[in-house]
Amino acid sequence: MVSHRVVITGAGAFSACGAGADTLWAAARDGQSGVRETLFPRLNDQKVKTAAGIGEDMLRAHEVHVRPRMQDRVAEFALIAADEAIRQAGLEAGGLGDATGVIVGSGFGGAETLDDNYWNYTVAGTRMDPMCVPKIMTNASASWISMTWGATGPVYCNSTACSSASQSIGLAYHMVKTGMIERAITGGTEGCVVSGVFRAWEMLRVLSPTLCRPFSRDRNGMMLGEGAGILVIETLQAAEARGAEPLAEIVGYGTSSDAGDLLRPDPVGAAKAMSMAMDDAGIAPGEVGYVNAHGTATVANDVMEAAAMREVFGDAFGGVAVSSTKPVHGHALGAAGALESIVTLGALRAQLAPPNLNFTADDPKVGLRPVVGEAQAIETRYCLNNSFAFGGINASLIFGLPPR
Amino acid sequence: MRNDVVDNTKLEDELLDLVAEEAMVDRAVLARDAKLEDLDIASADFVMILMAIEEKYGVYISIDNELADLKTVQDLLGLAVKKIAEPDT
Repeated sequence: MVSHRVVITGAGAFSACGAGADTLWAAARDGQSGVRETLFPRLNDQKVKTAAGIGEDMLRAHEVHVRPRMQDRVAEFALIAADEAIRQAGLEAGGLGDATGVIVGSGFGGAETLDDNYWNYTVAGTRMDPMCVPKIMTNASASWISMTWGATGPVYCNSTACSSASQSIGLAYHMVKTGMIERAITGGTEGCVVSGVFRAWEMLRVLSPTLCRPFSRDRNGMMLGEGAGILVIETLQAAEARGAEPLAEIVGYGTSSDAGDLLRPDPVGAAKAMSMAMDDAGIAPGEVGYVNAHGTATVANDVMEAAAMREVFGDAFGGVAVSSTKPVHGHALGAAGALESIVTLGALRAQLAPPNLNFTADDPKVGLRPVVGEAQAIETRYCLNNSFAFGGINASLIFGLPPR
Repeated sequence: MRNDVVDNTKLEDELLDLVAEEAMVDRAVLARDAKLEDLDIASADFVMILMAIEEKYGVYISIDNELADLKTVQDLLGLAVKKIAEPDT
């Protein structure tokens, strides 16, 4: 079977931290949180009042390839991130053709359009937007990317909640590795900081009314975020042929499902995803220098994830730097794995593990002390990114330094 | 002080009604020393109970370690009474 080496030649990010993959990495490295007060006029008696949302001003300042009547903001986020990644890869001329696929996930799709139009229809009594369907459909962002740059290869939109983006990148990696396509534009996008989605998460009692504190004993929930992260990945051969500089290599991917509980995560499934990724990469756990954890700061996730890491890393667990950067960019659901992959790339390239903000005390049930305070120097060729989703869907990606 | 005690008893009685309804447990078997596990009150029921507490008392309680560690009906009542009494959640 054909097996190509798969490299990343472009990365783009748009989040509450601003536009740019470097901006996101710098925010994570320096512990600069994009979380801010977020109030929705439609919500009576809103209890949780913070999120890492993208303001209208910031969106308008960075918008590209806009078709205002045809796109929800979730597609606008994706296009901003894709434009950056594609320019960095040196492919901005477009016309990418049949050899390029677009595999871009999303959890909620056009959430703002859905929210506004259900409100208009049921409460305000005004007409619905005739473009609701094409703006809401979850695959719209992937399609806008394919149309904008003429990528006529396969388009997939993977919607697996919080694993949407990591699984998209993993699927794209497999497709490129096995020679199905030469190149992919991949990642995830989410525009979920809108009143209806926010209230739905509040109802589940997993949003923190105070601060997002991953792995800390006093953690009491997650902080919602949004945005888009996009990577351009291609065979090493294709990158070399056009003189493109690889940022990093995707060396391993593992995915598994718990087939257990819809909401309660299982360390067995999570451990399996990490082990599969290491087997795929052909590396030992001790060779991984940093893990960007899923680390939602919910009680259940952090206990489960630490147990899974302890199982996989064994004796090497004490030597690996771990942090969740969700207090910085929020939990961006279907974009989470993409934003966090970009942070993980930053960590790998800078040889620095970013800090886990808001950690105050060890939790004996977690038994993990993440990187706290300043970013911590690491010396490693490999960094791992975890994503775990409701539905019991686990995904782990391992990135390696660019081939020498 | 005496009034506070009276108020809490009334509040706890109201909360027992609420727990029985939201967790779909017979009010008669909802003894204070009963274990939540034995009553088959699981995390999904907690979400419903916490939602009802928000609707009735205006208090947002997210799932934290303290909540995850509750063992008995009395533990649950104690935590709910404490959170309801806190000035600003």
